[in-house]
Amino acid sequence: MTFRSKLFWVFTIALLLSVGLIASGVTVLTRRAFEDVNHRHSEALVAQFEREFERRKQDVVHRVQGVAEEGPTTRMAVALSLPRGDASVYVNDARGSSESHQLDFLDFLGNDGSIISSAEWPARFGYKMDWVTEPQDWAALGSFLMKVDTQDGPALGLMSVSIVRVGDKNLYVVGGERLDKGFLSSLVLPEGMRALLYLNLDPSFQETNLLDESGPVIRGERFASFIAQEQQQPSDQTFKISWNPADAASAEVFHALPLVGRQKELLGVLLVGNSQWEIVILERRIIQLAFVVVAIGLLIGLIMSWWGAARVTRPVTRLSEVARKVSEGDWAARADVRGRSEMGQLAGAFNRMTEQLSTQQERLIQAERVAAWRELARRLAHELKNPLFPLQTTVENLRRAREQNPEQFDEVFRESTGILLAEIENLKTIVGRFSDFAKLPQPELASVNLNDVVRGAVKLFEGQFGAVGRPPITPELHLDESLPAIQADSTLLNRAIENLILNAMDAMPAGGVLMLRTTHENGDVDLEISDTGTGLTPEECDRLFTPYYTTKQHGTGLGLAIVQSVVSDHGGRISVESETGVGTSFHIHLPSKPPQRVVSISALPPDDLPEQPAGEGA
Amino acid sequence: MSKRLAAISVAVGFLLVALPAATSRRPRYGGTLRVEIGAMVNSLDPAVPAASPEEAIAKQGINALLYDHQEADGTFAGVAGSGPFRIAAWEPGKHVTLAANDDFRDGRPFVDGVEIQMSRAAPDRLLDVEVGKADLAEIPAEEARDAADRGVHVSMSEPEELIALVFVAGRPAGDDARLREALARSVDRAAIVNFILQKTGEPAGGLLPQWLSGTAFLFSTAVDAPGAKELVSQIGGSPRIVLGYDSGDSLEQSIAERIAVNARDAGIALTAVAAGRGSASADLDARLVRLPMHSTHPGEALASFVATLAPIGGIDATPLPAGATADQIYGRERSIVATFRVTPLVRFPRVFGLSARVRNWKAPLPGERLPLADVWLEGDAQ
Repeated sequence: MTFRSKLFWVFTIALLLSVGLIASGVTVLTRRAFEDVNHRHSEALVAQFEREFERRKQDVVHRVQGVAEEGPTTRMAVALSLPRGDASVYVNDARGSSESHQLDFLDFLGNDGSIISSAEWPARFGYKMDWVTEPQDWAALGSFLMKVDTQDGPALGLMSVSIVRVGDKNLYVVGGERLDKGFLSSLVLPEGMRALLYLNLDPSFQETNLLDESGPVIRGERFASFIAQEQQQPSDQTFKISWNPADAASAEVFHALPLVGRQKELLGVLLVGNSQWEIVILERRIIQLAFVVVAIGLLIGLIMSWWGAARVTRPVTRLSEVARKVSEGDWAARADVRGRSEMGQLAGAFNRMTEQLSTQQERLIQAERVAAWRELARRLAHELKNPLFPLQTTVENLRRAREQNPEQFDEVFRESTGILLAEIENLKTIVGRFSDFAKLPQPELASVNLNDVVRGAVKLFEGQFGAVGRPPITPELHLDESLPAIQADSTLLNRAIENLILNAMDAMPAGGVLMLRTTHENGDVDLEISDTGTGLTPEECDRLFTPYYTTKQHGTGLGLAIVQSVVSDHGGRISVESETGVGTSFHIHLPSKPPQRVVSISALPPDDLPEQPAGEGA
Repeated sequence: MSKRLAAISVAVGFLLVALPAATSRRPRYGGTLRVEIGAMVNSLDPAVPAASPEEAIAKQGINALLYDHQEADGTFAGVAGSGPFRIAAWEPGKHVTLAANDDFRDGRPFVDGVEIQMSRAAPDRLLDVEVGKADLAEIPAEEARDAADRGVHVSMSEPEELIALVFVAGRPAGDDARLREALARSVDRAAIVNFILQKTGEPAGGLLPQWLSGTAFLFSTAVDAPGAKELVSQIGGSPRIVLGYDSGDSLEQSIAERIAVNARDAGIALTAVAAGRGSASADLDARLVRLPMHSTHPGEALASFVATLAPIGGIDATPLPAGATADQIYGRERSIVATFRVTPLVRFPRVFGLSARVRNWKAPLPGERLPLADVWLEGDAQ
């Protein structure tokens, strides 16, 4: 991942985290604020309901008392107190009084509690309302909630009882106001709130008993479980109803206030609902705003990261370019030092390091050159010393034979000149090998199938693998037939492979298995040549590719150096793995196409090569 | 001496008081009797059928004043104007003015004429009589007591009109005789008479009134709520009964609602609903039926009731034999009531409100014409 990408992602993640945290915080705080406001609204509405309730209670008491105190009622009480008082005359009086005093319910009851006249159920005359005659201080009680039987069914009423006493006879005036949707419409509701009233007139939940200010509540069945809880245990409770599960804005939080009667029986439930619409919409807007901020932030982050990365990485890129040049051998390349920033200091340090490395490189090259020449001199001395000694001895024998045995001189001369010629030939061979190594040509690239080269090289040695008088060597070829062609010099590759096969045969004097395997990856090809020979020590592996180094008695130490030179000229790599007594494996990696500029290792001193893999001396 | 003077003073005082009173009781000719009725009569031609029972009754009443007499089959004898009055002015549906027929065979009526105002609502009629704008108006029976309390002269006939509960034939809710009996037992007739009819009327156990048949006392009118509950429990619960009443009849509505209360107390699910007059709607299991009496003969009265009830309740419509005895009439009456398909509830009189100047008025018996020819007006010039 580039520095620019990293910077972009760091910037983006930081922005997302900060915006997310802010959005979450704002959302939480907003929600709490809304909940607090809603709670206060609910409390205010409940308080308003209680005030309105109390006001109506007082109003009902006054109106019922007004009925009881008016003249016709008094005359009725007087008439009924007489021994032959006729209640039937007053059967229709309640309706008129209830209308004039705006009471929904009004009953005149005789001394025994029997109904004389009923406004809400005129046909119910003569029946008794025994509860009125129970000992009770009705004046002190004021008004109370009660389930009232009417002609149209039970209703919930805010009732009051007033007594007109004449002599020892009572006339009870029971009146009240219906508690229904009309009562709800008198409440002033803030926006987003509503008040519902459940009339607990039936043993189980009845949807039609749940009212709002316009009538029965739509989808009132959703309240059934909450009302059932109130019926089991009346108490203040809060619950939430989601009208549309797919839309959180449809949710509504309800506060339930039980309404109880004279005997503490549950007669109704006031439900104050708070719509969650506003808070959900606000939350959505906050989230939408957060997304917009994030999007803008991402855009800004992209620009900032591009600009910042460009600003930060430009010196790094320049330094990297200089480092690349240096790595390619341009020791004169220097970084541009600007300012006294960290990057300036880094560029200065890089330049100083490059200068020091360049100096040390020069010194090292010089030292290596000296060492190489010394090694070459030592090798040449060693190689030349061997033929020189027989030459010296032969010449001395010739001189001695002429002085001491002239008669045998001709014979000695003939033998000695033969030896001299052989040794001179040997010297010429040695010089020729060195000349060949020095004159190793640059590869002439063409499309080459490495498998064909391997097969050709192996075929060349087939006769030697099973030659009479030596233990057999079994070649095993594991060639990938899907191997792609590469740009290479088949002659040089063939020469390198032959050298490796020769080395392997030399490593297996007792016979064994020679395995050649080709593979490929991403267009590059790999060649593995393994033997089951005597193997090499780690020290031998370290020096294996050093020119003129050999582990054999008659080797020149140039075979593997040539192999490495060929591989390197093709832009490839060679490495060796070996274990004493087990065998040795050479791994050659060749690119599909050599780089344009290939530094020939033959032109460099041994220690100046890109790699110094160990190798088996040729 | 003082005793003689005292006796003379008493005699003079008596003459001073009694003479004008005696003079006022003497029939006087002249004046116009203002009558108000609730019905709207659009045609006085006996051959033209009436649009409603009210119109039919009103038309019958007016024609009875125009024709000489009425035959047994209900047709009028003679020509229009042969009766005590003749038509002086006629505006269909609004009012009719009758003038006294000087040639009436029973003699000229005392009043010169009768103005009949139609389409007057009951409260307006009562108010008009109360304030003197009308001299005669029929008022609802349940208003009689209030009218009397308000100072209106009230005249009542014998209790004649019956209100009965009839189970509609073919409705499954009325199939079970025990349920019908339970409902009949649950009704508190006395409460209906006392409170709704304001004691103007009597509980009815039979179809015919006691004054007519002499056997009405044999029919129980007592409420029996425990018995009704027991019957309901035997049934194992009550199906819902829909009881219809005339939507324009406040008396029927009050009675129906009271029956619903009584039924509820007995465990019977009964709903009172407003319905069209006399209709046996497919939605009604039972309905209240008014049975006005048109004859003072028990057999004819019962036959008239049966003719009205049979199409609704599916009761036996077999006519009584001519000259049926009292026992036969009672037996038929008993057989009808015993099915509980028809439950007589209350019976009440025709009630008339009279202004203070009306004299010599007597409420007519069923089938009789209004005695307007015999009425004279106090205070009008002769």
